[in-house]
Amino acid sequence: MKKVMGAALGILTAIGGFVDIGDLVTNAVVGSRFGLSLAWVVAVGVVGICLFASMAGRVAAVSGRATFEIVRERLGPRVAGANVVASFAITLLTLTAEIGGIALALHLASSVEPRLWIPVAGLAVWLVLWRVKFEVMENVAGLMGLLLVGFAVALFLLGPDWGELLRQAVPPSPPGTEHAATYWYYAVALFGAAMTPYEVFFFSSGAVEERWTAKDLATNRINVLIGFPLGGLLSLSIAACAAVVLLPAGIEVSALSQIVLPVAQAGGPLLLAVVIVGIVAATFGAALETALSSGYSVAQYLGWSWGKFRRPAHAARFHVTMILAVLLGVGILMTSVDPVMVTEMSVVFSAVALPLTYVPILVVANDPQYMGRYVNGRFVNALGTVYLVIVVAAALAAVPLMIATGAGS
Amino acid sequence: MHRGQQEPGQATASVADALVEARSAAETTRLTVDLLARGRVTGPVADTALLDQLDALDEADRALTTLVPPDVTSSDRRTEGLTTVGDLTDVVVQAREWVAARSGGDLAGADAVPADADALLDDLAAATDAVEQALSEAGGP
Amino acid sequence: MTRERIVDARLHLLSRQVLDADGEPVRAVDDLELTGPDGQEARPGEAVRVGAILVGPSLFTRLFGGAVLASRLPRIAWSDVAHVGTAIELSVRSDELDADWVELWLRDHLVGRIPGGRHDPEADG
Repeated sequence: MKKVMGAALGILTAIGGFVDIGDLVTNAVVGSRFGLSLAWVVAVGVVGICLFASMAGRVAAVSGRATFEIVRERLGPRVAGANVVASFAITLLTLTAEIGGIALALHLASSVEPRLWIPVAGLAVWLVLWRVKFEVMENVAGLMGLLLVGFAVALFLLGPDWGELLRQAVPPSPPGTEHAATYWYYAVALFGAAMTPYEVFFFSSGAVEERWTAKDLATNRINVLIGFPLGGLLSLSIAACAAVVLLPAGIEVSALSQIVLPVAQAGGPLLLAVVIVGIVAATFGAALETALSSGYSVAQYLGWSWGKFRRPAHAARFHVTMILAVLLGVGILMTSVDPVMVTEMSVVFSAVALPLTYVPILVVANDPQYMGRYVNGRFVNALGTVYLVIVVAAALAAVPLMIATGAGS
Repeated sequence: MHRGQQEPGQATASVADALVEARSAAETTRLTVDLLARGRVTGPVADTALLDQLDALDEADRALTTLVPPDVTSSDRRTEGLTTVGDLTDVVVQAREWVAARSGGDLAGADAVPADADALLDDLAAATDAVEQALSEAGGP
Repeated sequence: MTRERIVDARLHLLSRQVLDADGEPVRAVDDLELTGPDGQEARPGEAVRVGAILVGPSLFTRLFGGAVLASRLPRIAWSDVAHVGTAIELSVRSDELDADWVELWLRDHLVGRIPGGRHDPEADG
């Protein structure tokens, strides 16, 4: 019974932890402008993140080491150095977007403006990082993030024309009012939102934090293979809500407040409140993960002591790095930059940074010196190679598309 | 060609883009007012939604004011666009006051606050139609 | 008496994790200081010994080239190395290492001063 509970917890936290501010905003924007004609991108992204998260977890569980340490040893300090710089930059951008998302969601829940919430959110994120145990942090944030299932509930309550939704998705039929270039720009953005780079080093470092061994591999696989696709369905329900309520009205999503209107229409103030709590939890959890990832990447590259399992005093550089990252994020947001715009930037640049973060994982997962008999099988490698091509294509196309479409306007 | 001017087609397209944004703001306002009138949405969420749309309208207005139309047609489209966006903004401001009044503010009887949701929605519909008209003349969807 | 082993410096030493006597991570090996057989400067074409492990700024010179005066770099004397395996294990604790000064400074002046900084997270439930 305890094993079943443990497995259920793992899956539930994977679902609840899947959606972050990037997924929320990008799926809603896409739903309001393209309906479900980009649903296939979510599917591609989910398979991709399953592939790489399970590889990253396997690497950590089998070798006992986290990603960056191995990358540094295997690929040398130059390659790993470029990787760390890019990873840290994109993780910092994502952290900024998440803290902004917390503030926006709290604004929805109260009449207090986001600017006042930003320092509060930053402080709260730091306090949890400082004191709360890793597992407790993951479980609480993950379970509360599950409240986002309110979007799926809303979708059913709206009683949509399922046939129409399906027709938009398969085969992908974008509305005639949008350019092809904009369609592909949002395809790249949605891909970047699903395949968040920080997930890879967070997953592998988390495996070391929780002291996984080869025995935990099966659990890892189940959590990922069930949890993430369900999380993907959650993302799609956010897009579908926008497609059903906002698209026909000609409403283009540019603010968090628009994203929750379909939920209000479907289920009234109660469902609305549930979803807002879910948004706060999901963005808060993601802020914790990105802050930790910023610490993990730098500390592992430089060989510092790291980890929440250590006394902060014994991982001083790691904690100082995270404090600086949170301060930087708060600082950027206090310049009154639009958090939604920061989010849109972060998902596109996530796509650009993807090859740098995923290629090393693919290489290391094939290395028998670290993996022993747990190296990638042929199927995983074949899939990994296909995704290598996709990831590189998305990375190369991202910036040109962004310029050509004026960031999707 | 004077510096900063676009091709006429481009300038009119820019007008259309700004009006698309304005129409989106109008529809969001309509949806929000409707949801609040039916008690589906909370006061803070409605207020935030309208505030966000005022920001969007601000952006659309700025895009129109900073345009340098190269010919008479695009100039006329721009003028029309500015007028309709301005009128729409006024209605959204009223809508926000209506939201505040509903949430218990001390605004009862103020000139700016519409009597009820229906009156507000009528004003909104009129302003939206004007935007749609301007949009279709600018060649928009 | 310890057995002799042939170790490839590039493969087994550079970029490897350095652990102190308690098994705690200290730093990654950023570079190695090579000296001549009797401890003076290494000369090309002659036998060399590893004098010390270099950490810190030597990472930049290793990545980008250039040189920094060796005596000013944070170093861990080779005599403090106990064992070379998948990681390099030292015979001293990190508190006693000059090279770990950043961590120790931050511990004493910043992290250790914030309430809860010395609290062991594994200790409470």
